[in-house]
Amino acid sequence: MGLVNLRKIRRAKQEIGGREVAVVISPRPEQTRLGTTVWQTFKSLLTGMKITISYLFRPSTVVTQQYPENRETLQMFDRYRAQLKLVYDEAGGRLCNCCQICENACPNQSIKIEWTKNPDTKKKELERWIWRMDSCTFCNACVQACPSNSITFGNEFESAVYDRRLLVYTLNDKAGPDAKVWSAIEDPAEREKLMRKMDRYSGPIPLSGTSLPGNPSGKEG
Amino acid sequence: MSVKVKTLDDLTLPPPGADSPLSTQEYFINMGPQHPATHGVLRLLLRLDGENVREVIPVLGYIHRGIEKIGENSSYRQTIHLVDRLDYLSALMNNWVVSMVVERAAGIETNDRIEYIRTIMAELQRLQSHTLWWGVIGMDLGAFTPFLYGFRDREYATDIFEETIGARLTMNYIQPGGLMNDIHPNFVKRTKEFLEYLKPKIDEYDELVSGNAIIQKRLVNIGILSAEDAISFGTTGPVLRASGVPYDLRKIEPYGVYGKVEFDVAVGQAGDSWDRYIVRVMEMRESVKIIEQLIDNIPEGDYMTVKVAKAIKPPEGRYYGHLETARGVIGCFIVSDGKDKPYRFHLRTPNFNNLWCLTKIAKGWKIADLVAIASSLDIVIPDIDR
Repeated sequence: MGLVNLRKIRRAKQEIGGREVAVVISPRPEQTRLGTTVWQTFKSLLTGMKITISYLFRPSTVVTQQYPENRETLQMFDRYRAQLKLVYDEAGGRLCNCCQICENACPNQSIKIEWTKNPDTKKKELERWIWRMDSCTFCNACVQACPSNSITFGNEFESAVYDRRLLVYTLNDKAGPDAKVWSAIEDPAEREKLMRKMDRYSGPIPLSGTSLPGNPSGKEG
Repeated sequence: MSVKVKTLDDLTLPPPGADSPLSTQEYFINMGPQHPATHGVLRLLLRLDGENVREVIPVLGYIHRGIEKIGENSSYRQTIHLVDRLDYLSALMNNWVVSMVVERAAGIETNDRIEYIRTIMAELQRLQSHTLWWGVIGMDLGAFTPFLYGFRDREYATDIFEETIGARLTMNYIQPGGLMNDIHPNFVKRTKEFLEYLKPKIDEYDELVSGNAIIQKRLVNIGILSAEDAISFGTTGPVLRASGVPYDLRKIEPYGVYGKVEFDVAVGQAGDSWDRYIVRVMEMRESVKIIEQLIDNIPEGDYMTVKVAKAIKPPEGRYYGHLETARGVIGCFIVSDGKDKPYRFHLRTPNFNNLWCLTKIAKGWKIADLVAIASSLDIVIPDIDR
């Protein structure tokens, strides 16, 4: 039995379920004389070798990212989903108004928004915007669902940590009212008084056990 | 699925040389669940006589995650991101089948732009899946070079997905009522470049692997699956088509815009490993043809026809839809009780059936052939267990 002649692809019409379908039929091995088979075999091996050797002299076709050597120049795509971020307006006010639609849209409860009601203004004030990266599947459901476009995915993909508990983030760096209240006040000093500084790891810590070294509020979540 | 043992006698092996030319005793050996040639956590229990395979018993359940059950406890939109994780090399088609059924159930209409983009994305995914498979079958047959080349070409398609969607593997792109986001401004240009790049590469695949005498000897007339067996095992996709049955849902029940494009269904003649191999290579060329016909004609329109924040509540009833992934027919069955979560969510996945024909066709061949046959079936394990 000889080799397959790959150019011999037949086109035909076949019937299935009362319907005619245009098909291409696979090539099969042909009966050839022994001498021809031996010659074809050697030729096929050399053809393959030719391709491999040609790549030896054309290394420009390498598409792999040379990470981490190219760390300085590596450009991720804009839409790449890596780190969840809150969006702020030009004045620095946080757009999120604690409507919790993203919390309901999240398929695996990776988002938790803690808020309090300000007794003076009767408005929701954000306490903690907790994102559990350890259970997040980066499905983009929260970003899609957000009615005020106040969350987005960033490109910073280097998110490995040594302790799983460090994957629970408090995304807001300041607790307090949202951009509407913030932007209405013009004096920057007055604005700052409304906000309290938040630590990136000040949220609840999953996995019962000890608190993390260096984390003052290592309460169990 | 468990191994059924009726009596102890079933596990007692015949004495040496009873029905074998070799005077050896038969023995059981586990291939997997951690084995490089099983492409995942699949355990094959083999009854061997020397190196001859007498029986193959697939043992499943090592990667069962209860996706169907989780789907019953999450809303219709949340279900989509789970099905990415079935057959991760056909993630977009899996998204599409659930979206298709939910749209049908809830009476959501889509526009032409959405259907065009979905079809192009599905074909790109098929190309991506087949290039990866081509590399892997090369490696299973002992050639490492194709593995690198396959992954290299897959990288271009993955970059296209990454630019438009933002993820490379589990994409969650096709959703009920439309798409997650519109195509990137570079999408059309990049896709055309990719096709121009890939066409000569498929010829190179032919020169490097398909035409190679050793590869042909390893595949031709090995593991023959007849058309009758293929149908009775319920196999679909390239495995069924390689047995000579031109069953392709893209032709038979055109969905998306497959009705508007011209392409041929690749079929085999004998149903051996070679046919399963070459059918996929031919399918790559057909996919290129389909994308080329569509890429310049994407109409204008919205990419989402419904409000994302609004819950989908299909009326009570049972709904089914199916389409062709890179590996065969995936079907999605939803029973709705009128609430925002499905009452029952079931998936008919192609790899489960495609794997099971291994029990028949691998019989009588050597272990090395079993690896080649399993590789030619192109099974993805998370799709079997789900």
